[in-house]
Amino acid sequence: MKLGGKSENIIIPLIAVILAFLIGGVIIAALGSNPVDAVGYLVQGAFGSKTNIGATLVKVTPLIFTGLCACFAYRCGVFNLGGEGQFIMGAVTAVWVTVSWGLEGPLACAAALLLGAVAGGIWGAIPGILKVFRGLNEMIVSIMLNYVATLFMGWVYTELLRDGSVPQTFPVPDASKLGRLMPGMRATWGLVIAVLIAAGIYYFLFNTSKGFQLRAVGLNATASRYQGFNVKRYMLFSFIVSGAIAGLGGAIELVGTQFRLMSGFALGFGFDGVAIALIAQLNPLATVLVAYFFAVLRTGATTMQVGSGVPTSVIDIIQALVIIFAVAGMAFVRLPGFKQRMLNRQRGKKEE
Amino acid sequence: MKKVFTLMLVLALALSMIACAAKAPEAAPAAADKVYKVAMVCDSSISDGGWGAACYNAMITAAEAHGWETMYTDNIDVADYVSSIESYCSLGYDMIFLPGNQYSDATKEVAANYPNVMFAVLNGNDQLPTANICSILPNADQIGYLAGGLAGLMTKSNTLGFIGGMELDTTKAKLAGFEKAAKYVNPDANINVLSAYAGSFGDTAKGMELATSMIAEGADVFFGDASAVDSGARQAIDNANGSGEIKVFDIGQPADILGQNPCVICSVVTDNAGMLGLCMDDVQAGTFGNKVVYGTLENGCLSAGKINTDLVPEDVQKAYLAFVESVTKGEFK
Amino acid sequence: MESLFTWNFASEIVLSTFRMATPLLLVALAELYSERAGLVNIGLDGIMSFGALAGFMISYLTGNPFLGILAGALGGVLVNMVYAFCTVTLCAEQTVYGMALNIFAPAISAFIYRVYFGVSSTLAQATLMKTIAIPVLKDIPFIGPLLFNQTPMVYFAYLMVPFTAVFFNRTKAGLSYKSVGEYPKAAETLGINVVRQKYVACIICGLLAGIGGAYLTTCYVNTYSDGIVAGRGFIALSAVIFGHWTGSGVLMACLLFGFCDALQLKLQIISKDTPYQLFQMIPYVCTLAALAIMGAKKAGPKAKGKPYLREER
Repeated sequence: MKLGGKSENIIIPLIAVILAFLIGGVIIAALGSNPVDAVGYLVQGAFGSKTNIGATLVKVTPLIFTGLCACFAYRCGVFNLGGEGQFIMGAVTAVWVTVSWGLEGPLACAAALLLGAVAGGIWGAIPGILKVFRGLNEMIVSIMLNYVATLFMGWVYTELLRDGSVPQTFPVPDASKLGRLMPGMRATWGLVIAVLIAAGIYYFLFNTSKGFQLRAVGLNATASRYQGFNVKRYMLFSFIVSGAIAGLGGAIELVGTQFRLMSGFALGFGFDGVAIALIAQLNPLATVLVAYFFAVLRTGATTMQVGSGVPTSVIDIIQALVIIFAVAGMAFVRLPGFKQRMLNRQRGKKEE
Repeated sequence: MKKVFTLMLVLALALSMIACAAKAPEAAPAAADKVYKVAMVCDSSISDGGWGAACYNAMITAAEAHGWETMYTDNIDVADYVSSIESYCSLGYDMIFLPGNQYSDATKEVAANYPNVMFAVLNGNDQLPTANICSILPNADQIGYLAGGLAGLMTKSNTLGFIGGMELDTTKAKLAGFEKAAKYVNPDANINVLSAYAGSFGDTAKGMELATSMIAEGADVFFGDASAVDSGARQAIDNANGSGEIKVFDIGQPADILGQNPCVICSVVTDNAGMLGLCMDDVQAGTFGNKVVYGTLENGCLSAGKINTDLVPEDVQKAYLAFVESVTKGEFK
Repeated sequence: MESLFTWNFASEIVLSTFRMATPLLLVALAELYSERAGLVNIGLDGIMSFGALAGFMISYLTGNPFLGILAGALGGVLVNMVYAFCTVTLCAEQTVYGMALNIFAPAISAFIYRVYFGVSSTLAQATLMKTIAIPVLKDIPFIGPLLFNQTPMVYFAYLMVPFTAVFFNRTKAGLSYKSVGEYPKAAETLGINVVRQKYVACIICGLLAGIGGAYLTTCYVNTYSDGIVAGRGFIALSAVIFGHWTGSGVLMACLLFGFCDALQLKLQIISKDTPYQLFQMIPYVCTLAALAIMGAKKAGPKAKGKPYLREER
């Protein structure tokens, strides 16, 4: 699976998006609205004004983190589906640091981010250890851990750190909040951190020998073992790093955007991240772009509903269709039969 | 990588062209015949047959009475509170209706940037209001009293059941009021109130389980504060009654649901539309903001619904109406 | 707390356990049939929610809950065919499609319900399936009325357990079914059509999971709401692992998890400060612990989760 050069890496996701929108358009038309108008409203909702652009940037930040989390682990051949749990543990730690340590200001913020990443790393290490030492299927383990983390968070906001009325935690004090990029826009420095991490991962994976070895393990663990790479260590390492990325994302979401934990925090972020990473062909920089596309869909959805009266669940359907088509398309071209046919056709052309 | 960027750029261009081709939203009509617009943002579904639906219908009713246009967004995630509210603000809505205290933070954040948009937060606390935020606060104690008064008079087993969705302060206040009033109207009996939280407003099955367990513990009059969970509880009560004589009862809220299930004896009706209507009056008069609109028995925004005369004996009806009267007059607090 | 150990309490818990466990059992069996053919399907929540909607709609429109169950089953199969085509024919990542179903199917269900029923303050109510008492058995003291006065779907679910056990261990068809999940290449050389077998597995899985969803709206509660599945699919997934990929094991796991839920609800009524989230963690923690102790060697069909490429050398 080579990257960058092949045109199908870009064409397939594009076709998937177009197909998904066509089907979405048919549904919208069936409801008696104009699909072109609907898409117009969608775009307007995502880019129409400074606040709308800001809203999209706020939405994209956590998706980049969970996307990178999935991307990094998959590069090493381990399927970390626990991004959501790791994200949540990062956020829980961040709220604990900022609310109950009695510390305020930038130092508290920095501590929250650091410890959030550590917590995510620890939560990510569990499936890693179970895979490496017990040989367990890391996907199932990490999904179970998502539920454990969600329920643990529930306990935190209904009992341990509850702030009176609604079941939610105390808010992060103003002094400890993460700074905004510019006044009047909700996007925070978290976005910059996210993009820098994406660039850092790209550099690590494609320009360092360790990164090369990690990718080699991901492509063929058995061969790498014969090469003398410590496969287990790489797998565990990638689990911890990917958990830490998600944990940092959770901490940033908490101290930068949401400030409190409450029911539904981070719901669905984990799997969105997995889908984003796969559509981006596990390329960290493309992950940022695909995450942005998902964020556009989500922020535009409200305006679309207001403008054309289509329920927002249509956007959920379109998003799921993008995933279904894109991943199916990529699997399709990877089938041996397809490759054979393509080769035959090329040969046929040459012979003519 | 270059190719990816080029293609993304092309895609973005294509999308923006579609955007231009699509009709831009029409400009607001002249101020003279201004049509006001209100939008509701809600994290549950508006077709949940409970809280979401009740609030949505309240908005529709109030808006029809005032000639306003309405719009809604439901099922939104916590992470999208601010952006959803913001998008209505930038679309030129005059008032945003937020049915729940959980939106308080998001409302405060957005309201500061949109001084010309008015925000009405249902169940918002009394510290929340600012120049463009109002709280709408039905008196939870009184809701509890209205249900508890009838439950206390009707119970034979002296055991009552209360099922909450989440441990909200308003839910706790309703529970406390329910218990207090039941003990007040029936002082000789040693009334015991069983209570539990479903941890959700949508898990109908859980409501059924909780109610079934409570019936097994002897509860014979129920009250709840958990939307779709309540309908599960009512179903369990109907099952327990079977086809024979109805011995276990339920009191509904916030709409008058008499007749929906055989076990319903009365409802505590919250007139959210009335309270929202008061807010709309304020918006039109330019006096919105800095206040809490209370919903009480005194101002008619709370009331006891129709009583099921087949199930509630006449003397109990009389005693209950007298009790409601004493709550209205403030004699029972 | 004094009522904790009464007779009444015990019978309540038993009844409640069975009620909670039945939908879990149906869906866990669905997953068992899927995983035995090497297909890990984590989209159970999605299939269930579509089954719940289809079952509810048909039962509401026709007034016949049995047709509702049928519709739920067909709906489940329909949804699962997306998964089947992508994972079996295209050999795409199974977990991704499971998760995609979990986004796709609930969105479709919510959408259909909204478009059809609109917005009202009361939920539409459908007819529920009647319970049928089994003549002699229901007269057994204590257990009789508890276990043998249920809806036909409950009997169906529990009868599926011995059937599954016999099928996988005593029949030729069952053994060749299992071989597809263990050593697909060897199975192919023995003349078993692996791809067709996997499609059959997906049909069975969709069928049972769809019935599990429809059970919720035709036998359990008479309304449909968007959150009705409430994560039961993932608990069923745990039950398959915890139950060690056997029919009887899955039954025990479902009963255990159902019992935990019943107990949790009961304890909440008795003492108000029960941290119920910790109880809800039990299924997941049990499964993780069981997995960690069992280790990989015993952890289910060997080829599960792996795509099967016939041309692969």
